[in-house]
Amino acid sequence: MHLRHSLALVCAAAALAPLSARAADIKIGFPIPLSGPTAVYGKPVLAGAEMAVAEINAQGGVLGRKLQLLSRDSKANADEAVRLARELIIKDSVDFLAGTLTSAEAPAVSTVAKENKIVFIAPTSKSTILTDPQHIHPYIFRVSSNTDVEGLAGATLMARWKDVKTVATIAPDYAYGRDSIAAFIAALKKLRPDIQIVDSQWPKLGEPDFTAFITAQMSKKPDAVYCSLFAGDFVTFSKEATPRGYFKAINNRLIDGAEIGTTDEAQALGADYPYGVIGDSYDPVIWGGGNEPPEHKKFIEDLKKFTKAEYASGWSIVGYQTIYALAEGIKKAGDTKSDDVSKALIGMTFDTPVGKRTFSVKSHETFAPEYWGVMVKDPKYPFAIMKDPELLPTSFPSN
Amino acid sequence: MSASLLFSQLMGGLTTAMFLFLIASGLSLVFGVMRVINFAHGSFYMLGAYLAWQGVQWFHPTGVGFWAAAVFAACAVGLLGAVVERLFFRSLYGREELYQLLFTYALVLILGDAAKFLWGTGQLSVSTPPVLAGSVEIFGTAQPLYNLFIMALGPAIAVGGWLVLNRSGIGRMVRAAQMDREMLGALGANVGTIYTGMFVFSSFLAGLSGALVTPIQSIVPGMDVLIIVQAFIVVVIGGMGSFWGTFWGSVIYGEVLSFGILIFPSFSLFSVFALMAVILIVRPWGLFGRPL
Amino acid sequence: MTETTAQAPAAPIGVPRRENWVRRIPWTFVVFVIACSVPWLGSRYNVFLAEQIAIDALFAASLNLLLGTTGLVSFGHVAYFGVGAYVCGILMKTYAVPFWLAFPAAGLGTALFALVSGYFCVRLIKLYFAMLTLAFSQIVWAVAYKWNDVTGGDQGLPEIPFPNLDWMSSIPGLGDLRTSDQFYLLAVFLIAVSLAVLHRIVRSPFGRVLTTIRDNPERAAFIGINVRAYQLAAFVVAGTFAGFAGALYGIFSRGVFADYVFWSKSAEVMIMTLLGGMDYFWGPPVGALALVWLNQQITDYTEYWPFVLGAILLILLFGFPGGIVGGIDALWRRLRRGFGA
Repeated sequence: MHLRHSLALVCAAAALAPLSARAADIKIGFPIPLSGPTAVYGKPVLAGAEMAVAEINAQGGVLGRKLQLLSRDSKANADEAVRLARELIIKDSVDFLAGTLTSAEAPAVSTVAKENKIVFIAPTSKSTILTDPQHIHPYIFRVSSNTDVEGLAGATLMARWKDVKTVATIAPDYAYGRDSIAAFIAALKKLRPDIQIVDSQWPKLGEPDFTAFITAQMSKKPDAVYCSLFAGDFVTFSKEATPRGYFKAINNRLIDGAEIGTTDEAQALGADYPYGVIGDSYDPVIWGGGNEPPEHKKFIEDLKKFTKAEYASGWSIVGYQTIYALAEGIKKAGDTKSDDVSKALIGMTFDTPVGKRTFSVKSHETFAPEYWGVMVKDPKYPFAIMKDPELLPTSFPSN
Repeated sequence: MSASLLFSQLMGGLTTAMFLFLIASGLSLVFGVMRVINFAHGSFYMLGAYLAWQGVQWFHPTGVGFWAAAVFAACAVGLLGAVVERLFFRSLYGREELYQLLFTYALVLILGDAAKFLWGTGQLSVSTPPVLAGSVEIFGTAQPLYNLFIMALGPAIAVGGWLVLNRSGIGRMVRAAQMDREMLGALGANVGTIYTGMFVFSSFLAGLSGALVTPIQSIVPGMDVLIIVQAFIVVVIGGMGSFWGTFWGSVIYGEVLSFGILIFPSFSLFSVFALMAVILIVRPWGLFGRPL
Repeated sequence: MTETTAQAPAAPIGVPRRENWVRRIPWTFVVFVIACSVPWLGSRYNVFLAEQIAIDALFAASLNLLLGTTGLVSFGHVAYFGVGAYVCGILMKTYAVPFWLAFPAAGLGTALFALVSGYFCVRLIKLYFAMLTLAFSQIVWAVAYKWNDVTGGDQGLPEIPFPNLDWMSSIPGLGDLRTSDQFYLLAVFLIAVSLAVLHRIVRSPFGRVLTTIRDNPERAAFIGINVRAYQLAAFVVAGTFAGFAGALYGIFSRGVFADYVFWSKSAEVMIMTLLGGMDYFWGPPVGALALVWLNQQITDYTEYWPFVLGAILLILLFGFPGGIVGGIDALWRRLRRGFGA
């Protein structure tokens, strides 16, 4: 009797064990623009994150639990992003937050993360406001670069043109635009105090008609332009500027640090791309120059397969990095409590297909350098390619 | 501020103005005859743009392809207007204006999502037709040919519309309907047909302007909402129901925006709404309209 | 289109008594008690939804003072919601003003703005009135969007602090609640009071004058009513309560952003009002409940919520112009008539 009893118990336990061992998924809320002019950047970032989730889950997940990505369309609106973030926390009970694209969304979602004590990793927001001393808190991190780093790189390139004496700027009128231009001007003053800023234009984000800004700027006859327009705005801007001779007037000396060097932007513009301008990207994808890290080659092959696209996106890498960084943090912390993960992430170094990155102790950011280069026509590809991608800056502004 | 800068801003403002005029003229017409503010006018504009893009994909992006696509888009939207008016709008005449307004808003919601469903959420663009792809040097500035075309089209339509309205039999009926619908009906004219005709023509104009804007602006969800408020402002300034009023209202709007960026950049967004409010307070029927 | 009165016309002889006690239940009090008990009965998400509904209910009811009671079609009502949200948010966040000062200040600020804008609006006839309210609303939006130093511009004002709710912990039973739940109860209380006041206003002689103006403005003027003054008063009252709703909303959603004031939100609240029923005081709150609930249900399955909303609006306009409460009322009357016959 006793034996049968204990045998039954053991069988029952064995039967139930796999059920109890299957723990709940780790949920990651991911609001990001999936519609509107910025979706051309937002969608591939999400794709990169999804690929990372798929890879990690294929290898057994994190701490034995699978990752689940809950993505939502933030429409690049701060209030929509906040609403979605709160819903993800309150309704869907996510364990972590990641995502948002613009520097209007990320700081707003950061406040939600702070209030709810949930770790939030931003993949793309560059404005310094996200992690400056007034706004830093234990739960905010970013894998992206920041506007100081970008400004220094842009100014370095601008400074190389010895014959340029006057520069104009044009940027979307919100935190990222304002910060990137301010950082560029500050760095340029140090490198080339002789250069004068003769004009600044501030169209709003999502502006459908840049004509007035273009003509106003052209009238000031700058030698070169530093531009922070991106995604759909840069597409619209280019198409309106080219027939007016804007690029011709400055000999294509336009430097744009808002990732117009990505294959995504190049494909969006197609044959209308203003060849000859200088753009940047976290990932040039098509690596001219011959020093491509081997992990990157594999990453691109996997990405092309995952997204079923002929050409890989230059943006997916940041979504990919975000998820891997989070997974590393969870592993290091040993659990999914945000307080522990936060402590694990601060100062943590993690691998990416383009090198190692570290979350700084003071501001929880990676100061990621980007690849800059002239965008040229290449007969092998139906869109503009970055010629000789150069990793910039080589030294970072002090933080 | 040099003369060529002023000239550039002036021309830029005119391009914006003429585009707006194309859209707003339809809105103004519908209001003048039917006394209805059609929120869905912006949606027709957006559909015109998407259909033009679709047309270009189908008719292959040759030079002729664009024009064929534009005409296709305008006709398709006109047809949609006919369907909407006959099936739905008819039953709302005589009901409170609020219901008519909300009906057009319901259309905005439905058509907006329909566009997202059919063409996705990304940004689409159309290349300038090769015959108008270059630019011309005027007064030291490069003016794109396509913009010059639009700038010429605007007044052409304004003049054409004025001629039809004031010199033809149809025009006379429309003007009569604007002034006194009941009398017109009592006199035996088919007021219903006039209404449908106006609505179809207005939708056709909206679709056409949407199609024609595609080489210059990107096609993106939300363009319907952005344009309709601008069209309202123009129609308010110029005077609802007045063709020339809409024309001049567009010019004023375009130039205020264009020079606003030079003179008071942070206020340019605010200034157009303030202008609308001032006109409504001081002279509600607009510069060229008639008191209701 | 008449207002239903709380007192039913005398029941015909022979109507079963059960129909009388149904009328006598204080439904509004019941709803209030249910609303208060959500923090204990429901999840954090239920509180989140309930708070959204309550705030929208007040916002929609305030619009209906204009729409249903006075017959003024305002397309810019969200401007007052926004002004209230910004005034309260700015005072509390930037100037650390306590809530019990900031909240009335928001109402006062909104009332002033409503007075100024309303003065110009009520002088216009229907269509132009609607356009001017839209213009003022977009002006508020443009100012909110561009005035970075004060309103935060496109960044908005995130991190609006909760009011100091320590006094709540001294009330038995409320001490263990989360701050957000405590604020929820405070919000429900304030909204209930506001709705009660609005209800009183609508039922008062003042309210009756408004409906007279709505039904026939010329006749009202003929019998000596200063139509403009009454319309302006209604405008200010409606705006003030919208401002209160906005102030609460800013704290509830932990931030105030320029897009709260975009004109499409005015259309949303109008749909809410219509959905519930313009002819009944409790119509708009019911509409708020229905719309928020529907939104939650539909967005779980599809991203095409605007399409569904448009379809609902079409059904309302063509099939049920009386809204939900109108439909229920019609059904109720038919049932009663059935009994009486």
